[in-house]
Amino acid sequence: MNWPPIRLAAALLALVPTFAHCAQLMSPAAANTTAPAIPASVAAGPPTGLADSAALRATVFGTPPQDLAPQPQTVPLSEINIALPYARPVPEVFWFDRKLRVWFSAQPHPAPLAIVISGLGGDGNTTKLGLLRGALYGAGYHVLTMPSPSFPGFIVSASSTGVAGDLLQDSRDLYAAMQQIIAHLPRKVQITDIDVLGYSLGGANAGVVKSIDATEGKLHIHRAVMINPPVSLFTSIARLDKLFVRSIGPSDAGIDALYRQLYAELANLYRASDRVELDEDFMLAAAAAALKTDAEFSAAIALSFRIDLVNMFFAGDLYAGTGVVVDPKHPPKVGDSLEETERILRGKPFSEYFSRVFAPYYLKHRPNSTSKSLIADNRLAIIGDALRSNTDYYVQTNSDDLILDKPELAWLRDTLGSRIAVYDHGGHLGNLGDRSQISDMLDMVGGHWYGTAR
Amino acid sequence: MRALVRAALACLALCGCASRNVDIRTLPAETPAADNAAAADNAAALAAVVATAAAESGRQAAGDEAPPVTPADAPSMYTYDPWERFNRFNYRFNARFDEAVFLPVANGYRRLPSPIRSGVHNFFSNLSEVDSVANYTLQWRLGFGARSLGRFVINSTIGIGGLFDVAKSLHLAPALTGFSTTLSVWGVHPGPYLVIPFFGPSTLRDGLGLLGDYGLSYGVNVADLYRGIRSWALGVTNAIDQRANISFRYYATGSPFEYETIRFFYVRKRLIEDEGLHKKDPARMRDVDKPAGQ
Repeated sequence: MNWPPIRLAAALLALVPTFAHCAQLMSPAAANTTAPAIPASVAAGPPTGLADSAALRATVFGTPPQDLAPQPQTVPLSEINIALPYARPVPEVFWFDRKLRVWFSAQPHPAPLAIVISGLGGDGNTTKLGLLRGALYGAGYHVLTMPSPSFPGFIVSASSTGVAGDLLQDSRDLYAAMQQIIAHLPRKVQITDIDVLGYSLGGANAGVVKSIDATEGKLHIHRAVMINPPVSLFTSIARLDKLFVRSIGPSDAGIDALYRQLYAELANLYRASDRVELDEDFMLAAAAAALKTDAEFSAAIALSFRIDLVNMFFAGDLYAGTGVVVDPKHPPKVGDSLEETERILRGKPFSEYFSRVFAPYYLKHRPNSTSKSLIADNRLAIIGDALRSNTDYYVQTNSDDLILDKPELAWLRDTLGSRIAVYDHGGHLGNLGDRSQISDMLDMVGGHWYGTAR
Repeated sequence: MRALVRAALACLALCGCASRNVDIRTLPAETPAADNAAAADNAAALAAVVATAAAESGRQAAGDEAPPVTPADAPSMYTYDPWERFNRFNYRFNARFDEAVFLPVANGYRRLPSPIRSGVHNFFSNLSEVDSVANYTLQWRLGFGARSLGRFVINSTIGIGGLFDVAKSLHLAPALTGFSTTLSVWGVHPGPYLVIPFFGPSTLRDGLGLLGDYGLSYGVNVADLYRGIRSWALGVTNAIDQRANISFRYYATGSPFEYETIRFFYVRKRLIEDEGLHKKDPARMRDVDKPAGQ
């Protein structure tokens, strides 16, 4: 008996995370160039109008398997599903997100705990988290991997607002969830120390969580390692909106064109391959081969970000009752078609989320705030003093990271001093898991980093 | 037997309904070192396959071949789903069943030593070669049919009833097919999207294909495995083996649009496979464009 359906779907779904969680934000340099049209043919080579081809490529494909740092033979893993006592009522369409799901790897002996936070839209078990988990477990840590506060599963089960995207509030929610999870770990797990890490948006969350803990003192978090964090959330994201318009187009028509082009390329590759089944490996390799030009890499990055944004937008609109796509009086029920809603949301940029959901909600709930102050509050500068003076904060980033512009990178260097490692290549997270990134990260989290940054 | 079933149902009900606030599930250990090594090997091999395919697709179509698929040929992004309510109900049912029963059992199974699991897996793959031989014949792809037949004969004998995939080391790689593919070769439309209870995403044609495959296995009845209580044991073990080899997790996306996403990808994937089956028959291939889109 063949049992294809779920397998096929799984294989196809695998395509989404390839792009979805490797790269979320986009470079000012790329956004400033002239609009590249969707490239038409398979034969088109790599000539570009975009800034740094290597950075885009690394951002999309990540670390090649042969460059990965050595990983342990086995890593034990358990999954913890926890219903938080303070969780808000679960909307009907989110029935499957009632419990917060995190992943935990326990050492058999007393050990420090490393908590790792996912990047924008990522769940608690992304491929990137897997790389970090393996490295940290191999170095003797218990490892707890958590979703991003912008992941729908987190928004529903653990957010106190339902409106994701605020650095401080999201980090508070993370901090509260961490306390609950640690309290419910199996008794035999003995924790000697706690460190937090995170990549991309999760990196910023990790830093803020540590600074919250410094005042509240409930977990006594020791060190924070922030991997490719944004410096100003909304500025970086605004660049991405621009990139989307330039590489895909302002409307759904652009997405349709991109889809048609990819469909045709995959179909032709498959027809020429003589393979019997269009399996997962082939799909991934073919999709990788279909992306050739910088404009296509940019489109992949912009689209992956948009896919994450769709979920966040929907949840925020539903919780805040702002009525952009969800009628607050008649929220969708289980069994209702959401295809049209999804189609509409696909065409909406982050700026619209900000102006129609995020800002209305926070302006109402945060007295004396303005749109400007909301944007200013979503900068790493809110923990600038701690980053500057406390020697337990570390940053790893790349000089070609797409989400940072030059002044932002300079700010990080200036603020962190010797506690930052800046690598020459990798784009955004494109070197995560490679040998030097991992060995430096382990030095940082273990407190024996002596600033040999290049 | 009846008591056993009752006890199992009661247990299920208890497991499913108890709403514990924290539930910790031990998963099979990860093996990152081996996985990365395999990924490195696999990446090179696949890149070669895709490069060959790209070179192939770049050349001019031969006389009897359909011209390359163009973006205009791609089906619409909408999917024909007239039974959406029914399908969504089934999707939800499958998600719950998977979470409460199927996945925990499969995870338990994955803790068995790997030689045992690969033996079981090879055994079932070998059984389905029978089905493949018949279907390749119906599709008039006799080369593949001969390969499947060869694999079945070699693995059933030297491979001790299919427990070992000896044929693979003799460069006869597995290539299974089924009745849904046969229907596609015959030019049957995919029809509406269909989520089948316990099985998952499908189309009307693929669902009929499943029935056909089962009917064929039942009819051939290799080694009398498809009759009586034995067939149930066989079916359940097969299902567990299949599930244990699929990394899909319902609602891992956390997204309320997961149903739409899966439907979109499933139908597009099957349509691309149809394109591959009809590359010598442009008229029929273009026809495939319609039913999935509106």
